[in-house]
Amino acid sequence: MSTSMDPLVKALLDGDQIQAVAEARRLCDTGVAHERIVTEGIEVAMGQLDTKCTMEQFNLLEIMLAGRAVMGVIKELYPSGAPPLQTKGTVVMASPEGDVHDLGKNVLRVVLTAKAYHVVDCGKDCPLDRLIDAAEREGAFAIAVSGLMTSLIPQVRQIRDKITKRGLGHIKVMAGGAALKQASAESLNVDFLAQTAFDGARYLDQIAGGGQ
Amino acid sequence: MSGVERIKAAVNFQPPDRVPVIAQVFGHAATVAGVPLGEYVRSGKALARCQLQALKQYDYDAVFALMDTSVETEAVGSVLTYRADQYPSVRTYALSDGTDLEGLSIPDPHRAGRMPELLEAASILRREVGDDVLVVGCVLGPMTLATQLVGIEVALYLAIDDPERFSCLLDFATETVIQFGISQIEVGAHLPIVFDPSASPAVIPYQFFREFELPRLRKVFASFKQAGAAVNWLHIAGPAEPILSLYPQAGVDIANIDYEVDPLGAQRALPQTCLDGNIKPLAFVEATPDVVADEASKLMNLFAARGGFIMSSGCEIPPESRPENIAAMVAAARERI
Repeated sequence: MSTSMDPLVKALLDGDQIQAVAEARRLCDTGVAHERIVTEGIEVAMGQLDTKCTMEQFNLLEIMLAGRAVMGVIKELYPSGAPPLQTKGTVVMASPEGDVHDLGKNVLRVVLTAKAYHVVDCGKDCPLDRLIDAAEREGAFAIAVSGLMTSLIPQVRQIRDKITKRGLGHIKVMAGGAALKQASAESLNVDFLAQTAFDGARYLDQIAGGGQ
Repeated sequence: MSGVERIKAAVNFQPPDRVPVIAQVFGHAATVAGVPLGEYVRSGKALARCQLQALKQYDYDAVFALMDTSVETEAVGSVLTYRADQYPSVRTYALSDGTDLEGLSIPDPHRAGRMPELLEAASILRREVGDDVLVVGCVLGPMTLATQLVGIEVALYLAIDDPERFSCLLDFATETVIQFGISQIEVGAHLPIVFDPSASPAVIPYQFFREFELPRLRKVFASFKQAGAAVNWLHIAGPAEPILSLYPQAGVDIANIDYEVDPLGAQRALPQTCLDGNIKPLAFVEATPDVVADEASKLMNLFAARGGFIMSSGCEIPPESRPENIAAMVAAARERI
């Protein structure tokens, strides 16, 4: 039987969860290591999706379908929920207090999980202190916040000062979401302002392990 | 010219006496009046009072009987969380995956949830302003209501996994929207704006919009025109440029363009449709009056030769906006020769 990753990559890009899980199972049955399925299947598919998702072509539906297929494959490979492999680092994320929208954050969680980050999701309507506590406890290298309401901006601006006061100034802060992306990274007092989930993932790829 | 005449002139590409200006002031009207947002969205009387006060303060061409994006879904059965200083949000969705859609009945706008309060707001506003300014009600677009009935992730997955059932959900949403919108027209609204952010190309692909949403928007707008709507106004937030050229097929008279849309691209896509927009909403919070006035002036320059333009923001002017920035946009339009 073929050990080609192409059918798996195609199924992931098509957002076909059933087919993707079947392909992953077939690859396992032929003796392909789980780690290889992640790095040469899932990560390759996410890379191609990233390329496809230019600003003009980006839409949540395709990302969500691909994301669901990815999560299905990860669950198939690691049913116990154990981390799939050596992670690139831990990212703590939330929608800040006052924002009950979490779709954008959820999309980022899927993208980062598929790219082998350890993601700690503090949920929506999350107070800053809880978010920062989690970042400290988990040893995160980055905090990501997503917001659909402009009224969140004053909160976002506080994150940098709060983590610095707690001796966590090495943690990078990233923001995104329809309301926050109208601003600039400088005005939000964050290290990076992501236009899309992939844009954010690219930034994290640059800094993960680089210690910049 | 009255505000209504001015807007109709812009819609028909006839020269208005000045550029019409509509500030998308919703919850900000509560801020202006010192009323908690949580009260504003639950009381038609309070909403109308705040809108009239904001109209008096800013002197623009339209008022809004518009609460939030959860009115219809609450009327169907969703449970909301209300807070004093924020728009409500859905705590429990009205429909779950297994809900029998056929067994559901369309909510009665005169009895269900906050729909009667919104109707009261529209009625008061029309009684108070007559035809001096446009009285704009609000309904969600079918796609957005569908996502508000089951949750956006469930709705999108349903569209792919069970398109037939998703179509039934959209049809239910369409009928709900039509009944609610017609009731708004009957009590005095000049029109209900159709607010459909979940139909944005940021959420669904072009083909999805064309196949699922366009026919239903056409039905919604045809129903509103038949009920006496002065104009049909579609508001799809985000980077909507790829779908703009489809709007005429839906019967759209005014197309809102968000700040992410290039106004010249929108002109090319919709050469015969009135456009409104598209100052960045955050500018009203963070910029200065000079910056807002400059942005308004640039926009009016872009539309000077073409016409068919209403000066506005790209989306809602945030509740916490600085009043002087809204005043600057209105003044820029009013002072334009």
